[in-house]
Formats: sequence, structure tokens, C-alpha cells
Amino acid sequence: MAKGGPEYDIDINRKRNMSDMEIIKRLLRYVKPFIKPLIIAFVLVLIVVGLDLLGPLFIAEVLDALGEDNIPIVKIIVIVVIYLVALFVGAFLSYKQTIILQVTGQKIIYDIRQDVFEHIERLSISQYNQIPIGKLVTRVTSDVDTLNMLYTDVIISLIRDVLTLVGVFVIMFIKSPILALYILALTPAIFLVSYVFRKFSRKAYRRVRTNVSIINAFLSEHLSGMKLIQIFNREDKKYKEFVEKNKKLNHSHYQRVLAFSLYRPSIYLLYIAAIIIILWEGSYQVIDGVISFGVLFAFTQYINRFFQPIQNLAEQFDTLQSAFTSGERIFDILDTKPIITDSPDAIELNNFRGKIEFKNVWFAYNEGEWVLRDVSFVVQPKETMALVGATGSGKTTIISLIVRNYDIQQGEILIDDINIKDIKLDSLRKNIGQMLQDVFLFSGTIESNIRLRDESITDAEILEACKYVNADQFIQKLPEKYDEPVRERGNNFSSGQKQLLSFARTLVHKPSLMILDEATANIDTETEKLIQESLKKMMNIGTTIVVAHRLSTIQHADQIIVMRKGKIIEMGNHQELLKQKGHYFQLYKLQYDKNISDNLDLINMNI
Amino acid sequence: MLFGKHINKYYLKYGIFFLIGLAALVVVDFVQLEIPNIIGTIIDGLELKTLAKEDVVVFVKDIAIFGLIIVGGRFLWRIFIFGTSWRIDFDLRNKMFAHAEKLSQTYYSEKKSGGLMALFINDLNAIRMAFGPGLLMLFDIIILGTLAFYRMFTLDRTITYFAAIPLALIAVMATYISKITGKKFKARQQAFEDLSDFTQENFYGISVIKAFVNEVREIRAFAKINKRNQDKNVSYIKASTFLHIAVEMFINIIRVTMLGVGAYLVYKTINTNDVFSIGDLTRYIAYFGTLIWPMMAIGRLINMRAQAKASLDRVSAFLNAEVEIHDEKEVVNVEKIEGKITFNNLTFRYPKTEKDVLKNINFVIEKGQTVGIIGRTGSGKTTLVDLLLRLYNLKTCELLIDDTDIMKLPIKTIRDAIGYVPQENFIFSDVIRNNISFAKDEADQELIKQMAIYSDIHDNIVDFPNQYDTMVGERGVTLSGGQKQRISIARALLKNPEILIMDDSFSAVDTKTEEQVISNLRELRKGKTTIIIAHRISTIKSSDQIIFIENGEVMAKGTHEELLKSCELYRKMVIHQRLEAELEGEVE
Repeated sequence: MAKGGPEYDIDINRKRNMSDMEIIKRLLRYVKPFIKPLIIAFVLVLIVVGLDLLGPLFIAEVLDALGEDNIPIVKIIVIVVIYLVALFVGAFLSYKQTIILQVTGQKIIYDIRQDVFEHIERLSISQYNQIPIGKLVTRVTSDVDTLNMLYTDVIISLIRDVLTLVGVFVIMFIKSPILALYILALTPAIFLVSYVFRKFSRKAYRRVRTNVSIINAFLSEHLSGMKLIQIFNREDKKYKEFVEKNKKLNHSHYQRVLAFSLYRPSIYLLYIAAIIIILWEGSYQVIDGVISFGVLFAFTQYINRFFQPIQNLAEQFDTLQSAFTSGERIFDILDTKPIITDSPDAIELNNFRGKIEFKNVWFAYNEGEWVLRDVSFVVQPKETMALVGATGSGKTTIISLIVRNYDIQQGEILIDDINIKDIKLDSLRKNIGQMLQDVFLFSGTIESNIRLRDESITDAEILEACKYVNADQFIQKLPEKYDEPVRERGNNFSSGQKQLLSFARTLVHKPSLMILDEATANIDTETEKLIQESLKKMMNIGTTIVVAHRLSTIQHADQIIVMRKGKIIEMGNHQELLKQKGHYFQLYKLQYDKNISDNLDLINMNI
Repeated sequence: MLFGKHINKYYLKYGIFFLIGLAALVVVDFVQLEIPNIIGTIIDGLELKTLAKEDVVVFVKDIAIFGLIIVGGRFLWRIFIFGTSWRIDFDLRNKMFAHAEKLSQTYYSEKKSGGLMALFINDLNAIRMAFGPGLLMLFDIIILGTLAFYRMFTLDRTITYFAAIPLALIAVMATYISKITGKKFKARQQAFEDLSDFTQENFYGISVIKAFVNEVREIRAFAKINKRNQDKNVSYIKASTFLHIAVEMFINIIRVTMLGVGAYLVYKTINTNDVFSIGDLTRYIAYFGTLIWPMMAIGRLINMRAQAKASLDRVSAFLNAEVEIHDEKEVVNVEKIEGKITFNNLTFRYPKTEKDVLKNINFVIEKGQTVGIIGRTGSGKTTLVDLLLRLYNLKTCELLIDDTDIMKLPIKTIRDAIGYVPQENFIFSDVIRNNISFAKDEADQELIKQMAIYSDIHDNIVDFPNQYDTMVGERGVTLSGGQKQRISIARALLKNPEILIMDDSFSAVDTKTEEQVISNLRELRKGKTTIIIAHRISTIKSSDQIIFIENGEVMAKGTHEELLKSCELYRKMVIHQRLEAELEGEVE
């Protein structure tokens, strides 16, 4: 399986294949089911922004009332009370709105995540071997999370900011068209500064991201290759390389700081300019009696609310960019279709007997590099077939073809005389029990690893299966017995124990056909004996195909196939093959040379 | 502010930068509060109709000057405070990498590299935040808070109490609140981590899932975890939104109350000597406005500091990790290592373990000998050469190089004298040229090519479009196991070392290539010590000496012929492997 671990993608700035529009369109598809709450949220935002914008007007009213010769104190109290009420209502609606939006955003994220996971889960084994697991995990986890920001933060603040901008302008225009137009005249400058900043900061941001990725990739590689660096005395040189990369990273961070250091104060400068315009022209207007001084003060407050949204908009651009990048990655994986699929008229396997036939099968993982060449054999129901041969001779490939992890290029594979391409994949695999060479255990308990979430399996069945395959003995010795925790990848169990658990797991799911890739790992003699015993029993249950490394396993087979470079070179049962005096005979002779010490086991039929 | 053994010196080193930044901050905070003052004066003038149009120009000019000072100040503190925080990030990252280079293999085998990466990515960032935004917030809270309060106080005491008490309450509340949301935040992180773990394990175990047709059940199980993640998120968001909006509302209520109380004050004092003018009211509102951010920042600062502290603890633990492998105090400086190796009753167990992996190892490799080591997987062969590379500490005189205790030799001298081909072929994602010349800063192209020819990889390399400049890894050519192995051999040969160690270096190479390389080696290594660990007997058949290791002990030693006679197991292996070769169809 491909190497996992987190992904340090240096190609972060590569050009995207999908256009922004395309990504937005596809992202919006997930929004569709939630259109109603989103409309509600939108209406609420409208009210919230409106109420918020009333604030300075209330203050203006109070100030102007205070300016009257006879201060109308009751009126002031009424205004203050209304203001307070508006605040409460505003806060309440704002809370409602945020929650609706966030909850909806989370629901959308849930949907996307579920989609991505389901999709990846259904990809074919060969695709898993092509894409690093780390990348697949990132799609489901952080990439989806990046989108979260888009749905909850970016979109709504975009709406809020635009509404505020328009609202402020409208109010200013109503109160004093001339002042409003003056401020409007300033906006091109604001947009220009923001535009320049956006260009500059985007570049800086990209550089930061690239350099972060580079340095993380370097770290990840060199921390795992530290042994080599030390052995070759390359610490100093590698340190220099690291500092070089770190310098670049530091430099890009500095550029980003510089971008913000120029932008934020520039916007402040424009803010001051706006304040000056308002105070200057506004004071004249007050003196000329066009507006009240309360309104003038309100204007100074509105200016604040005018600049904030623009600043937000400019700064949110980075978030938007990374959301698009993540979006594209997600859609890329969603567009990767599983290679092995059911044909439209595929059938269910009923009353499975367990006959397997290979008819002139040719297979290559990569075009032109044949791994199986013209392989033909028949295994009758309930028979056991052992595959023998050197590493790379094609044994393991044969068993992965039976469960249709790959499709063959030429020939036919028949199960109960039906071509496996015409059998529903689920139905095929449900009938076949697979025991793979590297037993994978999930973190959980022994019980959960045998049951594998199939709630129809009873505890009694699990116990029975474990007893049958001799796993019960060691399980009973564990402190928690069947509830003994299994750590990540099952590394608290020996490979022999894992092997037994894998037998039990297969058995409890009642397969009609079993395929087994015998472990080559060193297993202590005692466990080895238990494994041999249970194997013998299991072979009697149904059709069994074994990639065999141990002589005793092979001897009990009804049929033995000796493979070499993807071809069958000898075929027959134990006795027949001995008579042939071919490769098998020589192997056997070697194994049973009684003069050899007990260490014989170590060079078992591991060929 | 964050303090600790490993970071205190940065305050000193960058003290001047921080001081400039802080000075700018003080100026900005001070001047910033002048603007409401001027606006207040203008409002008063307008209300009393004492303000002439000419006066407006003067005031406006003041604002312009103050504005420019603020712009300059803000620029400076951003550069000096934020910029300096990145300098510290740079320094600390270098320091951490330098330390990582010194740590022993024992450390690396105990720690997952993911955890180390997290130190460099997350923890370093948390520390940097404490120096950048953290320091800024701390000083802004103190300076701006004090100044604004002072000004409010001078305007009117009573209403300042009105403002101060609820504000203090809010600050306390915000702090308390950030603890609650902090907890929910952690729960949310945990849920995300669980989701991540589940996904990773699921994808790793996909073959089991497919084998048992468990996709649908797994998808359902994922849905549960996905839902839990969603719920925890929503729960966090609900709490934090509620608190955020509640605090904001409270502040606004105080603000409006101030407006009311202030208006009342104006009304009350209108005909007294101690007038609270409308301009004062606007000043007051504006000062209060500037106070909001420091108050809100307290909670954030506390949170940030807590995170930074935890991160600093982790980073410190890493930087404090003992450098186990280092030169002894008194080393024997030798001019040149000749290549004689003596294992003198060596017994070894890995640090912090209970089992001896090597027991009573005794043998001598004379200078210039070629020695083959064979044995089963896990018998201790690799450990044997790891000890030679001085990756672990040994007892006195258990292992001697040129009759000197390895522990007394400078590590650099030992490793410089050894060329090493590791079992797992680690090729850096760099161009092939640099991978081969890894041992040297500058290597002559001719030499690189020569080594590639000796390692029988040259022909492959010239087939690549960019030949020796082909990038290995993600965006370049992905090398096969055999190609990696041969590059790795070339890399070791380039050192022309006194001792060459090859740890199972032909496992992915076909027999023909292997024979070619071995015969090249024979010529190249004349008079120099060579140790070859192998599985195939053919690899080491012609060695001067073969050491057969089993269960951490030397089971037999001698030449091929001697072992054939004396060791049953060896003979058996020979026959077996011959057969195996035959099955592979590579030998007649």
C-alpha cells in the first residue's frame, strides 16, 4: 500500500484546471437543499445591518436634542430606550442569524464530507495503491474544513459587508448628499489601494504557502532520513540547506508583514482623509445651517463603518483562494471513478458451490509487463489448491484476481461457471473469505475486529469461531479477553496471533470459498503449530486456495500449482508431483532431509 | 509575555526592535485619543456657534498631522513587533533543526516523525503568536486601556465609574467565558482528530473492508463520526457565538447607558461652572469606543498565552532531550583509519530494552578483508553494523577499530572512514547527481559517472530525459527499488571509504547485476575493508570470511568452503537458494 502520512504538497500554487466559476457552481450544488434557512439568514442579516446602522442616528438625535435651548429630557430618555431596544433586538437577531448560518454551514460540510468519504471508500484497490493514503485523508479532513470557512464566514461577511457599505452610503446620502458624494469620491482611492494590496498580498501569501510547504517537505524528509545524514556526516551541510530554505520562508513572511504594514495604515490614512473632509465640509454645512452638529457627529461614526467592510473584503481574498484550491482537489477526487464496477446486468451469486476456473488468463498491472501468462486451472467445489513458487511468480496476483481487485486483460475467470465480470462485486466478495498476508487489525477490541461491525454475528458465534481456529486459547489469557483493546494496526499482537484472529474473522463470516496468503513472517513454534492445526481444519470447510509457504499446508492440498514467472510449470497433487521428479520433488527432498537440525523450519517453503 | 530557558535570550537579542515597536505603539495610542478630543471641540464650537470657518481649517490641520503620525506609528509597530516575531520564528526553527540533527537514533525510534513535525508547524506558530500579536495585545491593553481610562476620568468621575465597573465585569466574564469556549474548542478538536484517525485507519485497512464487503457499514460508521464532528462544531459555535454577541451587546448597552447618563449630565450642568458639554459627551463616547478592543483582547490574550505556554513546554522538552551520542571527553585523534575491526566479546541491547540482541560477539576483520555476514531477518546483522557506525554507545573495548576502542574515537573520524549502503534505501528528493555526491560538497562529474558505472546504474540514468539532473521523487522520475539500491551503492562508493558496509544492498537487484557490481567491487575495494550483509549466499560466496549470525550470536565463521563443511544449516541454505534461483529461472 502506498505510503501515508500527512501531505506536504509543494505544488500548492500549480495552475488550477477548473475555473473559479466551475468550482463555485459545484459548491453551490451543496447549498441547494438549504436554500430556505439561507434565505431566512439573509433576511435577518438585512435587519441586523439596518438596526446597526441606526445607532449613529440615535446618537445624533440625542446630541441635537441637547443642543436645543430647552433640553427635551423626556425625548432623550425615549430615544435612549428605543436605542436599547434596538440593541437587544439586533443582538438577538444577530445571534439567530449566525446560528442558522453556522448550523447550515456545518450541515453542508457534513454532506460534502460524507460524499467524499463514500466516494473514496468505493474506489478500487488499485486506485488506493496509486494515490498516497495521506492525500486521500487530507481530502476528507482538512480540505473539507477549508470549505467550511467559505460557507460560514466568507459568504455571509461578504453579504454583510456589501449591505453595510450600501446602507452607510444611502443614509449619508439622505442626510447630506454633498457629503456623501465627497466620500463617494474617495472610494476609488480606497479600491485602488485595496486592489494594489490584494495583488501584492496575494503574491506574498502564495510565496508564504509555497515556502511553508517546501520547508515542511524538507523537514519531513530529513527527519526520517536523519540516520543517513548522521552516518554521512552531512549535518552541517544539511543545516545550511535548511537555513537557506528557512531564510526564504522568513523573507516571504516579512513581505507579508510589509504588505499589511503598508495596507492597514494606508487605509487609515484614507480614513483620516474622510474624517477631515467630513469635519471640514460638514462644519461649514453646520455653520450654514444645512445639517445639525449631531448629524455631523453621526457622520464621523459612519465613516468607521464604511471602511471596515472594504478592509475585510480585501483581506478575505486569501481565504477564498484556498477554499477554491481545496474545492478543486475535492472535486478532482470525486471525478475519479472506480475502475472495477458492476456491469449493468450483473447477477447475485446464489447457492454458491465454490468451483473456480481460470481459462487462459493473461494479466498485467502495467501494460506490457505480463504477470500472469496463459494461466488455466480448475478447482472443484470443496477442494483445496496450493500455489507454490518464488516471490513475484504471480501467486498473490491469482488470488487478488479471484476477488476481482483487478480485471484481467485476456481469458476468463469463472466461478460456478459464471464469468466473474457478470457477478455483482459485493455478492462475489461476500462469498469469499480472504486472509491476507499482512493481517490488518483496526483499533478497537478483539471482538470488534472479528465482528467487523456486522451486528448479526452473535457473541457465541465469535467464541465458536475462535475456538475452532485455536485463537481462543491466547485470547483467554489476555486480561480483558475478547474486550482486549487492539492498538493502532494491532501492534500489540504478534504476527502469529494476528494470523489466528484473521482466521476467526474470516470463519465467522461464513464464506463458501476461502483464499489465504500464508504469512512468511517468523512465528514462534507454538503459535505456528496452532496455525497449522487450524488451517488443516479450515481446508475442509469449503473451497480453499492457499499461497503456501509451509510444506504441511501444501501436502494437504488436493491440487498443487507450481508457478514460475507467471506461468504454471507443474500441476498435480503431492504424490503426482513427487513422481514427476521436477522442481517440486527437489523442494520436497530438501525440506525432508532429516539430517538437518531443528532450525529447518526457518527455511520453510518460503520460495 | 512568554518566558523560558530557550526563548529568553530573544528578548535581549531583539530587545531594541521590540522597544522601537513599543515606542511607536505608545505614540499611536496617545495621539489616537487626541482626535476625539478635537472632534469634541469642533462639536462644542458648532453648538455654541462660536466656531468660525477659519478655525475649522486649523483643527482639520491638526487632525491631518495626528493622522500622519498615527500612520507612521502603525507602520513602525507592525514592522517591528510582527516582523521581529518572525525573526524569532526563524531563529527558533533553525535551533530546533540543529538539535534534531544531534539526536540519536534511539530518540527517533521512540518518537513518531509526525509528532516532531507538529513541533515545527503548530507549536512554533503558537510561540510566534505570543511574541507577535500576543505582545501587541498585552501592551495595547495596558497602554490604550490606561490612557483612555485616564482621559475618561478627567472628563467626569461618576460616569467613569458607571463605565468602569461593568467593563471590568465584562473583562472578567470574557476571561471566564474563553475558558468555557476553550473546553468546547478542545472537544471540537478531539472530534476532528477522531474523524481524521478513523479516515486514515479506514483507508489503510481498505483491503480488509473490501474483502468483507464492509463498505456500507464503514460508511455508516463514518456518518456517525462525521455527525459527532458536526455536533461538536455546532456546540462550540453556539457557545462562542452566544458569548461573543452577549459581550458585544453588553458593551453596547453600556455605551448607550453612557449616552443617557452623559446626556443627563449635560442637562444637569448646563448652567453651572463645571459644565459637561456636548463635546465632552462625544469625547466620552469615543474614548469608550477605544476601550472596547483592549477589554475584548484580555480573553484572547489569556487563551493565546496558554496555548503558547503549552507549545513552549513541548518545544523545550524537545530541545532539552539529551544528545546521547557524542564524543567522549578525551578522544584519541588518529590520522587515518586503516580498517581493522575487532569485535571483542560484544553484548548489546538497545537502550531501555530488556533483551540482548547481540551476545558475545567475537571476530576480527583484518584490514583489506571482504567479510560477508548472513543470517535470518532479525538475527542482529543490522545492529552489528549500526554499532560500527557508532549510532549507539558501547561498553569499553567491546568494539575496536584499528585496535582503538570505538568509544574513544571521534565520531566524525569514524563515520568519515565508513561508506554505508543502508537496508532501506533512502534517496532524497533531489537530482540524481546530488544524491550520488551526497557525501561530498563538490564532486567532479567524472567521478560521479564513474561510481554510477561501478554500481551499474549509469545506463539507467542516461536513459532518463534529464540524465544526471533528473529529479527523484514527486515531480521527477520515480525510481524502482533496484535503481534506488544502486544509486545508494554509488553514493557510498563515492566516498572511497576505508570501510564499506553494505546492508542487504542487493535485495532488489537481479542476480546478473549483482554479480556485475560484486566483481566491480572486488577491483575497486582492493586493500580496503568491505562488509557485506546478504541474504543470498552467492553475494558473499567469495568473501575472505563469512560470519553466520543466528539469534544474536555468531553461529559459525570461516570461508565458504569451510562453512560448507562445518555448518549444516549453511549447507542447507546453499542448496535451497540454488533451487530457488532455478525456480526464478535465472540460473541454468
